Amino acid sequence: MTYKFRNVYISDKCSLLASTKYNPIVKENVNKCIDDYYMNEKTIEIAESKYQEYTINELIKKERVDLLISGDLQNQILSSTLASSKIGLPVLGIYSACATFVEGIIIGSMFIERNKRNAIVTVSSHNLVSEKQFRFPVEYGAVRKSVNTCTATGSVSALLTNKKSNIKVESATIGVMIQTNHKDANDMGSAMAPSCATVLYNHLKETNRGPSYYDLILTGDLGIYGKEIMIDYFEKISNQKLENVIDSGSIFYKDKNVYAGASGPVCLPLIFFDYILKQKKYNKILLIGTGSMHSVISSNQKVEIPSVSHAISLEVKY
Amino acid sequence: MNKKQLIANNNDMNNEEYDKLIKKHIKEENVLKNMIISFFSGGLIGLLGEVLTNIFLKYNNLNDSYLMTFVVLIIIGSLLTGIGFFDKILSVCKCGLIVPSTGFANTMTSSAMDARSEGFIKGIGASIFKLTGSIILYGIFFGIIFGFIRSMIL
Repeated sequence: MTYKFRNVYISDKCSLLASTKYNPIVKENVNKCIDDYYMNEKTIEIAESKYQEYTINELIKKERVDLLISGDLQNQILSSTLASSKIGLPVLGIYSACATFVEGIIIGSMFIERNKRNAIVTVSSHNLVSEKQFRFPVEYGAVRKSVNTCTATGSVSALLTNKKSNIKVESATIGVMIQTNHKDANDMGSAMAPSCATVLYNHLKETNRGPSYYDLILTGDLGIYGKEIMIDYFEKISNQKLENVIDSGSIFYKDKNVYAGASGPVCLPLIFFDYILKQKKYNKILLIGTGSMHSVISSNQKVEIPSVSHAISLEVKY
Repeated sequence: MNKKQLIANNNDMNNEEYDKLIKKHIKEENVLKNMIISFFSGGLIGLLGEVLTNIFLKYNNLNDSYLMTFVVLIIIGSLLTGIGFFDKILSVCKCGLIVPSTGFANTMTSSAMDARSEGFIKGIGASIFKLTGSIILYGIFFGIIFGFIRSMIL
């Protein structure tokens, strides 16, 4: 399902990187870089809401804002609700795991396309919170598999307006939920690759474009192995080769570590705003957020992991 | 638009093909190397336990010194977990640290640390045996069964 937008622009952003573990590649470029899991709060859950508060407040200072769309990985999107209760804007809470940022941009674009209003899209994630909620207790010594991903910590807010700026939201494709018979919640890349390839296929088909139309296809957090699987899967369903794919998760950490890359909703926007855009190389960029929609209960009950991906096409001028 | 049109086309993969694709890209980890590392790191813990038992034997009888060895190992495991070193040591030593009672201590302490913010009753009290509960339950269960078998045979 593809929508075209005529006057939606991303005019501003604020990014906060809250952990410098494994030396993230965006460390020098983010608006604020700290190495603090607690932010002077008692619990890590509230600390994550402080990350969101910081990035939203930085944008509110500059511009009038009518709507806040926010999401994160916690149960009942706790940190988004806590942060938005401090801000006092009309709010929509969304969840689609690591595709939350792209989903937020799509919803926000539809709101402001005809309304002459501004919207903020905010996402956040916290390494320790995700460890505790989806994997094992924080200090528990679990032996990592090579397919495991390490959740990035931080928050990103983006401001959507009708005023012209250098990043134009051109079109968006909403993905379908796809379930293969993959059950291992450690290996989210394999779970998400089919949905990523499918939304890419649908987007190209509905817009009558080839993969080479885009200078860059930036996927969310497939990881080192998931990216290769996605490329093969896409070749199988469409008979076209993909050459211009970068996966944000697999380039996120500079240091050598045991993981297959980074994950979390902040991974894609951090790499896009603070690494890809800083290179000033690509003009037509397709962002694909990939989300693995399992819960602890579903993976304990051995349910096949459903996954969803959404795509937005951006036109960037420098 | 119906479902067929949205989900790619008839080139779509079936489950077996997709499993093959995953196996092509994700290689099996080197189990043998991990096993050898665990064998030696687990053996080192065993050696430490043996040394401790021999020290305690000077002051106690055999049963008491075994118990005291366990207590000391559990205290060491919990302390290392509390100051955040256990998972770092474990990434080097692999499962050799999990199988002895140090692993038990680590599991319990880490669950308790996670639940601390939710209070003493609903947090620590309810969650401390979240992962170790199964060890205790099946430990007792099979203890009874094998104890029964042993008493029948011997």
